[in-house]
Amino acid sequence: MAEPVAEEQERLDAFEARIANGEKIEPGDWMPQAYRKQLVRMISQHAHSEVVGMLPEGAWITRAPSLRRKLILIAKVQDEAGHGQYLYHAAETLGVTRDELIDALLTGRAKYSSVFNYPTLTWADVGMIGWLVDGAAIKNQLMLAQCSYGPYSRAMVRICAEETFHHKQGKEMVLTYAQGTASQRTMAQSALDRWWWPSLMMLGPHDSDSPNTPQLVRWGIKTKTNDQVRQEFVDEHAPELMDAGLSLPDPALRFDPSSGHWMHGPIDWDEFWSVVKGHGPVNAERLAARRRAFDDGRWVREAMAAYAARRQQAA
Amino acid sequence: MASHAPQAGEGPRWEVFKQDALGKPHQAVGSVHAGDAEHALLMARSVYTRRPAAVSLWVAPAEAVFAVTAEQLADDDRWSVEDGGQERRFLVFRKTSHRRSMTFVDHVGEVTAAGPRAAVAAARQAFPEPPALAWWVVPADRLSASPDAEAEAWFDPAGDKTYKQQSAYGLLAPKKRDRSKGGDR
Repeated sequence: MAEPVAEEQERLDAFEARIANGEKIEPGDWMPQAYRKQLVRMISQHAHSEVVGMLPEGAWITRAPSLRRKLILIAKVQDEAGHGQYLYHAAETLGVTRDELIDALLTGRAKYSSVFNYPTLTWADVGMIGWLVDGAAIKNQLMLAQCSYGPYSRAMVRICAEETFHHKQGKEMVLTYAQGTASQRTMAQSALDRWWWPSLMMLGPHDSDSPNTPQLVRWGIKTKTNDQVRQEFVDEHAPELMDAGLSLPDPALRFDPSSGHWMHGPIDWDEFWSVVKGHGPVNAERLAARRRAFDDGRWVREAMAAYAARRQQAA
Repeated sequence: MASHAPQAGEGPRWEVFKQDALGKPHQAVGSVHAGDAEHALLMARSVYTRRPAAVSLWVAPAEAVFAVTAEQLADDDRWSVEDGGQERRFLVFRKTSHRRSMTFVDHVGEVTAAGPRAAVAAARQAFPEPPALAWWVVPADRLSASPDAEAEAWFDPAGDKTYKQQSAYGLLAPKKRDRSKGGDR
């Protein structure tokens, strides 16, 4: 029995050497089971997040304050649908089917980003999501664009190119309101108060509570840790939000001259885990909306299948 | 818990190839699910051409795409085994670089062979340089293309939607300004 183990070790060594060498692993190449499993988990959660991510902002399309803002928001929500498609495609290259993935989401077995389980209470939330939530997502996605698995990396490169528009339109909107009337400033500040902490949390648990991270980094699935990405996010966004005349809801936030970083106060991880486990403000509402969309679309899928079958018969 | 296991699911998977400009190769960008080729092309347009530039799309059923990587070729010492069957035309796609990219294999040409394995062998002979990291071969008769005569209607509208481009927003730096004025464009 020694031989297969030695062969397996040889395979693993060659695989790790390829990654260390900067090569991309492609569908069909040998990969450890744990690599495949981690990728399916991460990519499918990411795909579900894009799809559920349409809901908080989609709710405001009919109430956009101008035609320009409405066009932008429709395009953004449509992009999120497209990003879900890119990512489901990447997951499918690992041997799972689209139907399995969607079933896991609709039955509540699959996870998606905690941040989409918070409600969008005012129009300024749309801008704040663009600036903060998409800003945090871009930091994470720029890191994942370096991923050793080809299909995931390519999906991330395409998404980052489009997502920068999401970030900028949100930032432009919040800057406008932060410099606007008293009620616009109040609306922007209230949105920041509600979205700041969820945006920090969405980048995932502290490295000390993230047991998979060392292996994910070693295999080039992730190239930075959660805390590293979170620090990049805070370093960019904290000073800009303050320059905009807004105040951050973190009394402990301070610039540390010795490290050159902005240090944030303690994150409420109890809140994070509660939301992840399904007890956030609108978890049930989000899942119900996805189920309703799936059920409402059933007749369309059935009609398409019947049409395709009839055309095939006629051919 | 009740399963939502679909009675009518997402339909078969189709690989999508996008051409950015005339004279450039069609490149594999991802896949869509659709009932038939026409539906697949419309899905591909919505998913992969929301932004410029595109001039043409191809789709092929995923089950018609035969894919093999350089690692698999190196591993398989029986690669020369021929497929039986009629000679047919195959379109050949390959990937040659590990560089950061949003596309996978590029169209390089076509070969005639009795089956997909033979098509890959013929492709390696016909297109030896630069060394390929991955090959795809697709029977020509399984490929469907967007209508060239309607390319303008299919792809030009994306170019007019400049608000989707990050360049439309310029450099956004917070500045302290006169706060007495509100409003939004």
